[in-house]
Amino acid sequence: MAEYIKLIDVTKCTGCRGCQVACKQWNSLPAVDTMFTGSLQNPKDLNYNTWCLIRFDEVEKDGKLNWLMRHDACMHCETPACAKACPSPGALTKNENGSVVHNPAYCIGCRSCIVACPFDIPRNDKALEKMAKCSLCHDRIDDGKKPACVTACPTGCLTFGTKEEMLKAAEKRAEKVKGVIYPANPHYETHVMYILPGTVGVEDFSHMNPHPKMPATLYWWKNLFKPFTLIGIAGVAGAAFLHYIIKGPHRVHEKKEGGE
Amino acid sequence: MSAHGDMIKVTDGIERVVHWILAGSCLFCLITGIGFMYHSWSFIATFLGGPYAMKWMHIFSGLAFAVSFVYSFFMWKKDCQFESQDLQWVLKGGGYLWNVKDLPPVYKYNAGQKAFFWILVACAIVIIASGVVMLNPLYYPVVMARFAYMLHAGAVVLLGAFIVVHIYLGTAGNPGTVSAMLTGYVSRPWCETHCPRWLADRDSWKPGGEKDVA
Ligand code: SF4
Ligand code: SF4
Repeated sequence: MAEYIKLIDVTKCTGCRGCQVACKQWNSLPAVDTMFTGSLQNPKDLNYNTWCLIRFDEVEKDGKLNWLMRHDACMHCETPACAKACPSPGALTKNENGSVVHNPAYCIGCRSCIVACPFDIPRNDKALEKMAKCSLCHDRIDDGKKPACVTACPTGCLTFGTKEEMLKAAEKRAEKVKGVIYPANPHYETHVMYILPGTVGVEDFSHMNPHPKMPATLYWWKNLFKPFTLIGIAGVAGAAFLHYIIKGPHRVHEKKEGGE
Repeated sequence: MSAHGDMIKVTDGIERVVHWILAGSCLFCLITGIGFMYHSWSFIATFLGGPYAMKWMHIFSGLAFAVSFVYSFFMWKKDCQFESQDLQWVLKGGGYLWNVKDLPPVYKYNAGQKAFFWILVACAIVIIASGVVMLNPLYYPVVMARFAYMLHAGAVVLLGAFIVVHIYLGTAGNPGTVSAMLTGYVSRPWCETHCPRWLADRDSWKPGGEKDVA
């Protein structure tokens, strides 16, 4: 099966939020009452029932006002921190098509994934005691369709295709608009990529991690302490056994005659 | 002679009960924790009714561990205060590694037992504090929550290994010892070997020697 990438060309986004609505519809996510908070961004944050959100930032740079609209959702990491942290087999799986899919049936609501994610994507559904996030519409991909958000996007900001195609397209487009490709960390691959306008930096976008990487604490936890828990127990048990057969147990000296 | 013959009481009932609540909850947490850590060992969760059930078992067992730990700390901290002779005992390997004739006489607990106690204290504090953070990780700054997950696992590496040492030395490694935590009584020769100074003290307190002095 092919590996896919969703490309988000921020320079083409008009903030229409068609993707946000399409996501809700395809995934049957319940509506919420929202409030106008003085920004186009509504609701204010991702939520268990809002898996993709258009974030809105006003940034003044070199005397010019920039309106930044950014489609924010799960990045579908190549080595997902969320799945690495998850204690429940099957709750978070990385698929060949690139998607990282959450299966609520196996989720135990421990929230380890929420803490681990370098992009702060998973959200907690308090009522169900389960995590919730974008699935890249893996069910649609398997059916030969594009994710719902991509299908809905009217401007061509969101595109979807095989990894090779999209990487090529991203480079071409970045060159044309003098933009930058995000994430740029070659050690942290994702199946969602951005083209950001060259006139602003990554830091100008809210809720965007300028240096996405696997958290070091997660590395220590899973790559060191995890194996050493069993190595330690088994090693010490082995040493105890050797002590028993070589040196022998520490017997009590019987001083008095007729002792037990 | 009492019903226990020439056996000497070294632990009282409350010590034994607290010891076993601490030990039982600790082992249960260790086993369920291993079940969470290694996906390939998910049979542990299956056996206990699935990972969701195991999550709550781990939490409640952790609560029992925390409560019995706090009680044990205050119960044993005095007995586990290091003294100057302990260094001598350690330098001689406690008589466990090579043959030693003149081990410094031990009072109630030897330096190894005391060290185990303080390692348990350090690890338990880290494990309990990080466990509290992991109960509601979203209430805390993300960096703090991430450290909690890491430290929870890190402290277990140390504690898990030392628990195995403790079990071995309390059972097969020192015949006659385990009854101290079962019936509470051990033989007089056992005391002469393992806690001679305490035994001398005890004999001077209660010349009959069969009363409750533990
Ligand atoms: S962006 Fe976060 S939630 Fe999505 S796959 Fe990566 S680590 Fe997991
Ligand atoms: S909340 Fe669910 S998906 Fe997230 S780590 Fe826990 S079990 Fe896994």
